[in-house]
Amino acid sequence: MPLVGTRPVTALEGGPLVTDLQSERLELPGCGILQIMYEIDAEGVQALIPPALHPTVPATVVFTVWNVPESPAGAFVVAEAKIGCRSGARPRGLLVRGFCSSAEGTAFLSSKWGYPVTQANVSLTKRYDRIRGVAESGGNTLLDITLLNPEPIAGNDIQYLANLNVARLDREGATVARLIQSDPDYVFRSADRGKPEMSVFDADAFGLGGAHAYFPVSASYAVADINMPEVRYLVDPSKSPLASVERL
Amino acid sequence: MKFGIFYEISVPRPWGPTTEYEVYQNCLEQVRLADELGFDQVWAVEHHFLEEYSHCSAPEIFLTACAMITKNIRIGRGIVVCVPQFNNPIKAAEVAATMDLVSGGRLEFGTGRSATWTELGGFGADPDETKKTWDEWTRIIPKMWTQERFGYEGRAFSMPQRTILPKPLQKPHPPMWVAVTSPGTELDAADRGMGSLGLTFGGFREQEKKIAEYRRRIKYCDPVGSFVNEQVNTVNFLMCHEDNTYGGKTGQRLAGTFNYMAEQLLAARQAYPTRSYPNLGLLPALRREATSAPENQLPEGLAIGNPDRITEVIRNWESVGVDRINFLLNAAETVPQAEVLASMRLFAKEVMPKFADKKQPVAAGTAAGGA
Repeated sequence: MPLVGTRPVTALEGGPLVTDLQSERLELPGCGILQIMYEIDAEGVQALIPPALHPTVPATVVFTVWNVPESPAGAFVVAEAKIGCRSGARPRGLLVRGFCSSAEGTAFLSSKWGYPVTQANVSLTKRYDRIRGVAESGGNTLLDITLLNPEPIAGNDIQYLANLNVARLDREGATVARLIQSDPDYVFRSADRGKPEMSVFDADAFGLGGAHAYFPVSASYAVADINMPEVRYLVDPSKSPLASVERL
Repeated sequence: MKFGIFYEISVPRPWGPTTEYEVYQNCLEQVRLADELGFDQVWAVEHHFLEEYSHCSAPEIFLTACAMITKNIRIGRGIVVCVPQFNNPIKAAEVAATMDLVSGGRLEFGTGRSATWTELGGFGADPDETKKTWDEWTRIIPKMWTQERFGYEGRAFSMPQRTILPKPLQKPHPPMWVAVTSPGTELDAADRGMGSLGLTFGGFREQEKKIAEYRRRIKYCDPVGSFVNEQVNTVNFLMCHEDNTYGGKTGQRLAGTFNYMAEQLLAARQAYPTRSYPNLGLLPALRREATSAPENQLPEGLAIGNPDRITEVIRNWESVGVDRINFLLNAAETVPQAEVLASMRLFAKEVMPKFADKKQPVAAGTAAGGA
């Protein structure tokens, strides 16, 4: 059977404590989404994901910087670095740690969908020749990704992975680690693709120490209405892939 | 209705020093038996880097070995990846002609373009280009076989005049096929006068519509080869057992294992935004098929269970217009070899005779169709 992760669940206990999972869909209109995929060294990928997940063949990391101009928490920008994986047979991206540009946005995402984000300076800049996403904290650059030479494509040509957000839940008085599935729908207004470029990736900052992103795969940018989902599925990271999914 | 066997050659972890050897030997034993039992064809894929799912990167070698240990079974190169980073059209034509010669004229020639980033990225191929190079190659390879001297100036491939040798034994050339994993590719096959080598499953109704449209379109085709190969070939799983429940459960395990391994791969579309790959190809179709049945029932289109059930399933495929079915016999060795061989024997004894002699084997140049 396919390889599974070996990351100790104790290493995934730093996510936000979620007490009120999102129970209905919520639209975030007019968001900009920059996504860049790189292949990473296959050698260490099992150490980055828990036993509930399979790494993809080949091993990948997906960088996403998305800006939300309008939400109940106001405007904010988010930076993520997700390991491409499979929950059983289903494609997912494991988010161990990310960053959000506002305190309100951070609370909004973490309290409802378990996004393990902390506040940092995150920006998404669109020019005609490039689209750039940057995350900085304490004077250090954590992520710097660029799509070069954008060319229009159809939005439906882009595939986004559903997130598995590293979080914690209260279960019978105890706090347990769970991966919370966030699988938004997208209504595209425009889309581009271009040449991917990643100049800075602080893997440790994203909880992915040892991940070496070495081979650029693709870059896309879309403007879309994001329909954030109600939370329907959780994954127990300690269990085997076929036994780990919990339906709410 | 003709029956064949189909190989991805999946090799389960852990990989010991002889694991691949043992799997290959099991496959060859199955092929030898298939020939003895009267199966009509054996197909092998060309895949690269697909850990566990397929260790069949040199199918021309495997199929040549198959030809050497058999007498009658036709050997299907399924498929040649028509992408320059993977192969070269001259070499593809030469190797195919050699396989046809050494097999005594038993080659079926499949074409395709790969559907995973795992492979396309590994070879540095541009996903936007694969459909175009496939289209170009399918038009020039038959000319390499049939023209004494061949020269060509094209978009992605050009060559000065040379004599490409050897020439195939089958005249004018072996039957040509297209691997159909994406909806619409069966129409590409029809428009070019090529056989539809269906690698997806799907319900009877869905397939019936596709096959009807294939047959309608191929009447007006502009054939890439010297003749029209109007045939619909599909893939299925086979687990035939006297006990319907046991056969069904084992067959579902086989299908589920295959599907699970396939889903670990990175489809081209999942990695690279392109119109060239408008859907996920094989993978979602497999998942749908493996999980489509209500609880305690078997998926309607799968050839698993006892001989009576499998006969009924094949009658349904026949009624919607399928000409040939190729069976996956195992996945990751999840079924013991002895049970695989027993399943083949029972199928050949109880099921195959019910479909015998309705059509003669189709040789090159004699298939029905337009043009």
